[in-house]
Amino acid sequence: MQKKQCIAMLLAGGQGSRLGLLTKKVAKPAIPFGGKYRIIDFPLSNCSNSLIDVVGVLTQYQPLELNRYIGSGLPWDLDLNKGGVFVLPPYMTSKSGEWYRGTANAIYQNIPFIEQYDPEYVLILSGDHIYKMNYRAMLSSHIARGADCTIAVRPVPWEDAPSFGIMNTDEEDNITEFEEKPKEPKSNLASMGVYVFNWSVLRKYLEDDEANPNSHNDFGKNIIPAMLADGLGLSAYRFEDYWKDVGTIRSLWDSNMDLISDPPRFNLYDKSWRIYARNPIMVPHYVGDKACVEGSMVTEGCEVYGTALRSVLFAGATVEEGALVEDSVVMPGSVICSGAVVRRSIIGENTIIGADCVVGDGGDSEIALVGSEVVLERGSVVLPGQQSDGREEGA
Amino acid sequence: MKDVMGIIYTTKDDFALRELTASRAVAALPVVGRYRIIDFMLSSMVNSDIKNVGVIMQKNYHSLMDHIGAGKEWDLHTKNDGLFILPPFQTRENQGTYQGTVDALRSNISYVKRSNQEYVILCSTYSVFNTTFDNVLDEHVASGADVTMLYTKYPIEDRSSSSNTAQHCYLDLDEEGAVRNIEMGAEHHELENFSMNVFLMKRELLVLLVEQAHAKGIYSIHQAIKAGFLDRGNYLVRGHEYTGYHKRVESIPSYYAFNMDMLDEATRKDLFASPVFTKVRDEVPARYAKGAVAINSLLADGCVIEGRVENSVLFRGVRVRKGAVVRNSIIMQESDIRENVEVEHVIFDKGVTIREGRLIGQKGYPIVIKKNFTL
Repeated sequence: MQKKQCIAMLLAGGQGSRLGLLTKKVAKPAIPFGGKYRIIDFPLSNCSNSLIDVVGVLTQYQPLELNRYIGSGLPWDLDLNKGGVFVLPPYMTSKSGEWYRGTANAIYQNIPFIEQYDPEYVLILSGDHIYKMNYRAMLSSHIARGADCTIAVRPVPWEDAPSFGIMNTDEEDNITEFEEKPKEPKSNLASMGVYVFNWSVLRKYLEDDEANPNSHNDFGKNIIPAMLADGLGLSAYRFEDYWKDVGTIRSLWDSNMDLISDPPRFNLYDKSWRIYARNPIMVPHYVGDKACVEGSMVTEGCEVYGTALRSVLFAGATVEEGALVEDSVVMPGSVICSGAVVRRSIIGENTIIGADCVVGDGGDSEIALVGSEVVLERGSVVLPGQQSDGREEGA
Repeated sequence: MKDVMGIIYTTKDDFALRELTASRAVAALPVVGRYRIIDFMLSSMVNSDIKNVGVIMQKNYHSLMDHIGAGKEWDLHTKNDGLFILPPFQTRENQGTYQGTVDALRSNISYVKRSNQEYVILCSTYSVFNTTFDNVLDEHVASGADVTMLYTKYPIEDRSSSSNTAQHCYLDLDEEGAVRNIEMGAEHHELENFSMNVFLMKRELLVLLVEQAHAKGIYSIHQAIKAGFLDRGNYLVRGHEYTGYHKRVESIPSYYAFNMDMLDEATRKDLFASPVFTKVRDEVPARYAKGAVAINSLLADGCVIEGRVENSVLFRGVRVRKGAVVRNSIIMQESDIRENVEVEHVIFDKGVTIREGRLIGQKGYPIVIKKNFTL
């Protein structure tokens, strides 16, 4: 096997339970985002654009959709002879076999995979974030500073800091302390869940961690604190561009809206750093005689006969004549029937919002959610903040 | 359909398509916002599970090769068979340019002989349609035909007088669907069965047909069938009616009409009933600014609309800026309609920029602006 300087391991096994109905049947990284993408397209495209050509994707929860989506890795130019993208589910060995118990355990179980490439560095990523980042630049910084581990960080508003893993640093951005969701944060530098490790160092810590029966086998809770306690060189790598953890319904909605603000808070139109996706290859979208589309993103296969304002319509979505979609996210293949009003909502994949339904509300109301593969009967109501799978009547 | 191979004869550049085919083959002509003409033939073949497709190239095939590449998008980048690009070449017997389908096939006859499928489907790139050939093969086998030709009804009142009708072929059929005669040109007969230039026969029969026709100096495949099979009487040539959407794209008006036909929902759903594959460009979804207006139009990904778009087809990455108006037009990839510019009845090739003013063509005679032109 060819030696690689750096390979990436992408943690994609999380359930994403805070996304409610959306992750009932698919893993969080497979959730559609931004009209034609899925969350995992962002780290995979970043790898491809950063010329990192071996990516192990660790899957566990509801992996079928994700496996199908990744396929041979062709959309990201990762269908290679000398590398590529590899889906790594937990597997049995002669001695044992078990689920991934935590982020560190997942990597531990795949030490033989990593060793095949004999890398000097391993990049650990997660499949939960929307951002465009050059991992090579981070790797160069890691090498230049001679660190054992480099963690990407970004400043967050102080009031939000208690909900992140916070890095306390000295004046040279060396990490002195790590606090998971501190009540009284000393810093506002949040971990982005992107790590570069010297592989020989990480390997030792993974093995030690595995030997400790009291460990949670988690990077944030165990590996990083252990390295800090041993006085290893941990550097913070500052990243100031757009980054969003789309772990909740609200943040997923926010992040989609960031694409259509004017100017867009998250700009995908930069051709030097394209985001790749598996393309369904559908007809260009059609807007009808009476359609009104403003401040929105619309993609292939959509048919708009009604009104779409400040919304993101995904591949193959239909808005019938007389329907209104406002400040909403309509995922692939869904149909908003005539007379329906959808405001401040997320509509899952292949869902039908029946005629005259009312989903969500305007103003500052909470985001309403209708799950995937749901048929919402004519005249149904889904209140703000509510989740509907079509089985029980809303309200 | 594993036992069928496909051959696409990409026709020569055509003067009736003027600027649009100045630098590209008809097969590579951009249509319906994101496709090229050849996508329809390639997709029809792969949707029929045909695994071996040869594309005979002629002049200006650079953009065609760029488009189809190794055939990945059509799942034709396979270890066995797959996509064969057959560019012209020169030998002592071969001039490197083809006078017709027969000539082109003769030059590439070793590819046909080397293939191991029993049947071959041959088509050209003028006729746009989207189908699967399974039922054609079933009927071909059941009827014991030697050759099956696809045709579509083309009533006399629908025919335009302007286009190059000399190459049009019509089939004279008996009640059983057997071809009695083939008439060329549109003038002197009342036949309505318009040949779509799609032929199904045994591969070995095609080899025989080509060799016989070449010996007689015949270049046209229709003439070859007429002389080699019909006039001799001992072959069964049958017609198979295709009832789906069909358009022969061979002139500026027919190119314009084809694109505009796709604005009609029923017609669009007819042509795209089975998927049409094409090269993927990884564009971002189209974005509509506040105050944008778009009605009765098809818009591809990557478009940014700030102005007004009506009854038009916009290809990938087109910008319609504030105050600009685009009506009844076809605007290809990466064209830029600047602030307050008004265009109507125009066809813009790729990368056209209009900085100011108005450009209004006539209904039926759209103004064509060539590639990368700035006005």
